Amino acid sequence: MTNERKYWKGIEELQETESFQKSKAVEFPEQNNLESMLADEELNESSTGRRDFLKFLGFSVVAATVAACEAPVIKAVPYVMKPENVVPGMATWYASTYYDGSSYASVLVKTREGRPIFIKGNKDFGLSKGVVNAPIIASVLGLYDSERLQSPMKKDKQSKWSSVDNEIRKALAAAKSVALISNTIISPTLKSSIDALKSSISGTFQHIQYDPISYSAIRRANELNFGRSFIPTYDFSKAKTIVSFGADFLSTWLMPTVYSCQYGEKRNPDGKWMSKHFQFESVMSVTGSNADYRAMTKPSEEESVLRYILGRLNNSSTKPISKSLKSTADGAVKSLKETGKESLVVSGTNNTGIQQLVNEINNVLGANGTTIDIYNELNMFQSEEAKMLDFVDNMAKGQRPDVVLFYNSNPVYSLPNGADFAKELKKVKTSISLNSHADETSSLCTYMCPAHHSLESWSDYNAKTNHYALAQPMITPLHDTACSIESFMVWAGLALREGKSSTVAYHKIKETFSELSVGDFDLAVHNSCIELPPSTIEDSLAFNSVEIKKTPKYDKGLELITYQKTGIGDGKQANNPWLQEMPDPISKVTWDNYITMNPVEMSAAGYATTFDQENGLSMATISSNGVKFTLPVYPSPGQALGTVGIALGYGRGGNGEKIGKAAYQTKEYGGYILNKKGHPKSIGENAFKMLSAVSNEFNYSNSGKITKIDGEYIIAATQIHHTVMARQSIVRETTKSIYDAAKDKESYNPTHKLQTIDENGHHVEKPVGEFDLWDEHPVENIGHRWAMTIDLNACFGCGACLIACQAENNVPVVGKDEVRRGREMHWLRLDRYYASDEEATIGTRKDKDTFSFSKAELAAANPKVVHMPMMCQHCNHAPCETVCPVAATTHSNEGLNQMTYNRCIGTRYCANNCPYKVRRFNWFNYPSYKKFTEINPAQDDLGRMVLNPDVTVRTRGVMEKCSMCVQTIQAAKLKAKKENRALTDEDTSAVCGDSCPAGAITFGDWNDINSAVRKSSEDKRSYQALEEVGVKPNVWYKVKVRNEDNDLLAKLQGDKEEHHESNHKQH
Amino acid sequence: MQKEAAIREPLILGHKSYHDITEDVCRPIEDKAPKMWYILFGIALVIGLYGVGCILYLLGTGVGVWGLNKTIGWAWDITNFVWWVGIGHAGTLISAVLLLFRQKWRMAINRSAEAMTIFAVFMAGLFPLIHMGRLWVGYWVMPIPNQFGSLWVNFNSPLLWDVFAISTYLSVGLVFWYIGLIPDFATIRDRAKKPVSKKMYTILAFGWSGRAKQWNRFELVSLVLAGLATPLVFSVHSIVSFDFATSVIPGWHTTIFPPYFVAGAVFSGFAMVQTLLLIMRKAMNLEAYIHTKHVEYMNIVIMVTGSIVGTAYITELFISWYSGVEYEAYAFINRATGPYWWSYAAMMTCNVVSPQLMWFRKLRRSLLFTFFISIVVNIGMWFERYVIIVTSIHRDYLPSSWSMHYPSPIDIGVYIGTIGLFFVFFLLFARFFPVLALNEVKSILKGSGQSYKESPDYYKTH
Repeated sequence: MTNERKYWKGIEELQETESFQKSKAVEFPEQNNLESMLADEELNESSTGRRDFLKFLGFSVVAATVAACEAPVIKAVPYVMKPENVVPGMATWYASTYYDGSSYASVLVKTREGRPIFIKGNKDFGLSKGVVNAPIIASVLGLYDSERLQSPMKKDKQSKWSSVDNEIRKALAAAKSVALISNTIISPTLKSSIDALKSSISGTFQHIQYDPISYSAIRRANELNFGRSFIPTYDFSKAKTIVSFGADFLSTWLMPTVYSCQYGEKRNPDGKWMSKHFQFESVMSVTGSNADYRAMTKPSEEESVLRYILGRLNNSSTKPISKSLKSTADGAVKSLKETGKESLVVSGTNNTGIQQLVNEINNVLGANGTTIDIYNELNMFQSEEAKMLDFVDNMAKGQRPDVVLFYNSNPVYSLPNGADFAKELKKVKTSISLNSHADETSSLCTYMCPAHHSLESWSDYNAKTNHYALAQPMITPLHDTACSIESFMVWAGLALREGKSSTVAYHKIKETFSELSVGDFDLAVHNSCIELPPSTIEDSLAFNSVEIKKTPKYDKGLELITYQKTGIGDGKQANNPWLQEMPDPISKVTWDNYITMNPVEMSAAGYATTFDQENGLSMATISSNGVKFTLPVYPSPGQALGTVGIALGYGRGGNGEKIGKAAYQTKEYGGYILNKKGHPKSIGENAFKMLSAVSNEFNYSNSGKITKIDGEYIIAATQIHHTVMARQSIVRETTKSIYDAAKDKESYNPTHKLQTIDENGHHVEKPVGEFDLWDEHPVENIGHRWAMTIDLNACFGCGACLIACQAENNVPVVGKDEVRRGREMHWLRLDRYYASDEEATIGTRKDKDTFSFSKAELAAANPKVVHMPMMCQHCNHAPCETVCPVAATTHSNEGLNQMTYNRCIGTRYCANNCPYKVRRFNWFNYPSYKKFTEINPAQDDLGRMVLNPDVTVRTRGVMEKCSMCVQTIQAAKLKAKKENRALTDEDTSAVCGDSCPAGAITFGDWNDINSAVRKSSEDKRSYQALEEVGVKPNVWYKVKVRNEDNDLLAKLQGDKEEHHESNHKQH
Repeated sequence: MQKEAAIREPLILGHKSYHDITEDVCRPIEDKAPKMWYILFGIALVIGLYGVGCILYLLGTGVGVWGLNKTIGWAWDITNFVWWVGIGHAGTLISAVLLLFRQKWRMAINRSAEAMTIFAVFMAGLFPLIHMGRLWVGYWVMPIPNQFGSLWVNFNSPLLWDVFAISTYLSVGLVFWYIGLIPDFATIRDRAKKPVSKKMYTILAFGWSGRAKQWNRFELVSLVLAGLATPLVFSVHSIVSFDFATSVIPGWHTTIFPPYFVAGAVFSGFAMVQTLLLIMRKAMNLEAYIHTKHVEYMNIVIMVTGSIVGTAYITELFISWYSGVEYEAYAFINRATGPYWWSYAAMMTCNVVSPQLMWFRKLRRSLLFTFFISIVVNIGMWFERYVIIVTSIHRDYLPSSWSMHYPSPIDIGVYIGTIGLFFVFFLLFARFFPVLALNEVKSILKGSGQSYKESPDYYKTH
């Protein structure tokens, strides 16, 4: 049987077919001969003929063309040799120091693949304790400014360092007199290199330090009172009573990066004590908007108020002051008497007399030694405007130096007589500028020898007596620029140029450092700073009362105040589109300069007091100091009656200077608006021209005259409605006394309750959170749930978070025309609400029966102010998520409301349905549409380098919004996972919270019951904005507590408590 | 043949014979078009093309060319959408609902009302398409199997329901309309002399031969489709209203919306039918078929639906106060007294006051007055949607985001353009299609024709 079994490979073999027999004979299948195949006539006649060929060809071409119609691919260039410390995709942080002549901060710089892309505060080391402000964060964009000078220039022509250096050295050697005009130099190494230059030349050498914003009066007053010219260290964290006369110390006055943190520390109602803050000022400032008591004070009234307070404190006779000021001044006196030496009085007026009065008051209080440290002085702000003004006068008289050098100084722009100076400057034989741009001054110079951007160069700073800091380069110089230390050394003949990889400055700084003999250089670089041995100043500075110097006098009538805005400051960064588009914390206006006036006066004088995208503001001509400007008049509640304000830092570069693409006015469809001279028109007017010099000190207020003229000016503001309409669940406020006295939170932070019927059929009240139409998202108690709390009491509205968010998340800049249309793209905004006369405090109706909506729309003449950061609330029942037809916005299992740009088709339904209006739509293709060429850095090859590679640049037609910095959350999660541990609070941060000077924003994992955010959210001050809508946000706000007496509010909130209690008794 | 009381006003005036009806309807198609037609068509075409140009500019540049902003994400676009959809309600209501209710007077107007419906829905459908930020991925709203992973549409979104509602409505409406057209096309085909038009109408007539079997099926299909279309009349605008009603925005979040929107839609749809027919009956000599009685009937519908709409407005106002919700209350105070008070006033006057004039028999039988009111009503209904959409969102919860809306030239261009396109379609329809359901109208000639009613043996034969 076994032998009979037959195996076959196929049915053919089994049946032994003919074809099988044939193929069996041939072992290998027949090879087709290619030649014969091609020669086969039959094939030629097959159906694929010429016509078909053409059809296929045509189709392929069309298909290829269609397939090519895609967005152009911009290729990334990979490393050929990978630098040691660079891991693609991983950020590296370097410690450094920021100093631009007026702002100072210890910073950390984030670099990605060698590019610095983000600046934040250094929380571990340095003077500023991790505080940075908007201009510092935004300064990273300046590195990639394509209009920065890219090589040395002679006149208008590009040149080479070798030839420029030779000519300059020759000029210096031949010069009989040389002058160097710089801002305050606090770099010991730079100073020594200047000294080296000074000793290398045979002629006279004059170094004038001149800052556009001068604090010389403080120094002079101290010289008179203490016998030594200095600016002391102020400590706002020790001051139980703060009285400020126009000093905007949270935003621009001296060292806001230091003061804002100190101030914020003591504004916590749950702390040991809370400071009481009185502000006397003309223009509503960021600081004034946070004061517990604010009095609208004219510059001319400042002296009398100071004298009144001094007199009351001395118990001596006082001259009467106006009623409105008296009540606040009396309050201040009362508080100052109570707190004694734990008080601080400061004034922003640059006048020796005024500062002497301030010194007198502080002395009476005994503040020297507690809130004022006179032995640890600030080396910044050494401006000698007297010298500078003399210098200009002498030049006009013909005493011109042969060589003038400019270092970080732009006097043609910032001097009140800048135009005269420009005329004289042109007559100087050799003028050299080390400024980074061909700005107002540089463009008139013979040579432009641009310095590195601060992120490209080594530097050292001695900002305070006992503090030495270093700045290190983050990137190889982008252009053919040179470190200024090197330039001075080269011109002194002590060094040679070494090109981009020059180590001249590095070695020179190392030398300075070793002379200090304070420790390891590398460690100092790592930390960015090092403490110096205690000061060597003689140990007793006694206060001497001397005769008060002349104080400024004003004509009767209008008084004009020039002030600095938080973003633009003195105009150094007027070309920075982020800062131009940053809404002013008070006015919310972007991209513009305007006259501020109290709306009460404006409506009386017939000015427009409301505006929107199509209806502009009235125009007025203002004249002062012999200068005349025409500007729009902005209704600014809180502006002292009889005064107007104009911001400094505008009106730059109207003569064709190249100060930066974004520094000019643009047209509706792109391109610049040209001025009469045919140059791009500058934004606003240069208010520096209106400064007066009182006894050789710049006075930032002056008498003036204003005339309303015909015409309307469209202004771009991000907020056109200014009150909260007494709505209670947006902003919540109380006073310290109510807060302290309250038994539970119901009085000042009532729970929103609804009626329902319980199992027994009784009517009961339940918190609104317990009512739910939907199933809960499974985020509670599972994994993470990202949440945030924002303390309205701590937030003072500076806008650092907004700029940090813009930098981190590649938020496009859209320009004035788009902002005016209400299309700014900021993911995080700061809502600023004024109190109306209908409200007891913001959000509480004075009288329910007489309440009028139309009156509630108008801000009070001197309103209380609240700043409210608003971003996506990451609702757990997000109304945006349910309405998206394509599920482009969804809820993550970590509680985040996610936006999937790729999936978005752009119906904008989500934005409409958002109760907080935080969603932003890409109306145009911002990275390419012609309208944004001048202003959006993403349209510039160089500017594009600032983009964060972790965050997608959004295309036209998609929605975007705050993601709670999901990229940083992911990075933190990965890091913790790699280290095989649970996430902690330290791992995660949202950049807004990280950049907040006041620590108002707490971010973290709400499911972690020990996390800071969990505890903060359960605080008695915590509430959710618009809780009753039922969207269940993951963001909590905390009630603002004012340290003021408000009897009406106490009564209203007390009533609420009683009502609440009686309700309890009923049940 | 239905029996009808002799005292009822006849539906077909004059001494019309069956042949007369055929002649009256076919003449405009067979004759050369009058000069006026060319002029009107030219104007409509130019306006339409201007609108197309605006749309192309919009698609090329971005939605930013409209006057929208961060607060107001919808304005003229969705206003126009709802307006056109509303207008597109009359046709189906007339042909389907009135068919089910055996309202014979509908026969004279249903053809053109349906045509109007279809063209209006075309225009309406345009807006949700072009309002999208990325039209080129608009097909993602279709639940089609895809290769983007497991991405699926969001069935929670009322916008998605809109997609289904509008597309269903359009397809059923189109089929219904076309079915009705078949016998009439056949009539034209049989009369056509020119080879091209004969060929065209032959294709369009689907081989209709007029056999009893075919008529039988025709009636059945009409009835079935009417049954299908009737719920659609109510569903479409209910679903459109859900776009607003399911949201959380004060002024949008209103449960009264579905019936209120449907009533409003019928209201505006009938007004548009009036506007068109009053011109058409004159221009095409159809006075015998569409006369005062028809106009009066339609005016009664306008009056009733207008009253429903007015009641809804007042209910809304009452509820906003009665609810005690701060935001809701303010939304309505703001509507009436805020910066857009004029649009609220326009809406109230046009939609609440003007239809009440129809209580007067003299006025509702006046053709001139009707024509005037029909235009007023459509202006009012446009404002109604503008009030609901814009004045609700321009001031919602957070006063910091309160804003104003100003239309851009492109906003206006697109809107005017759709009106142009609509008339292009309608004029083409009037020129090449039978504007009256001629074969259906013949069925009531003996029942409700004037000459028959007047004839002495009217009662005998019936």
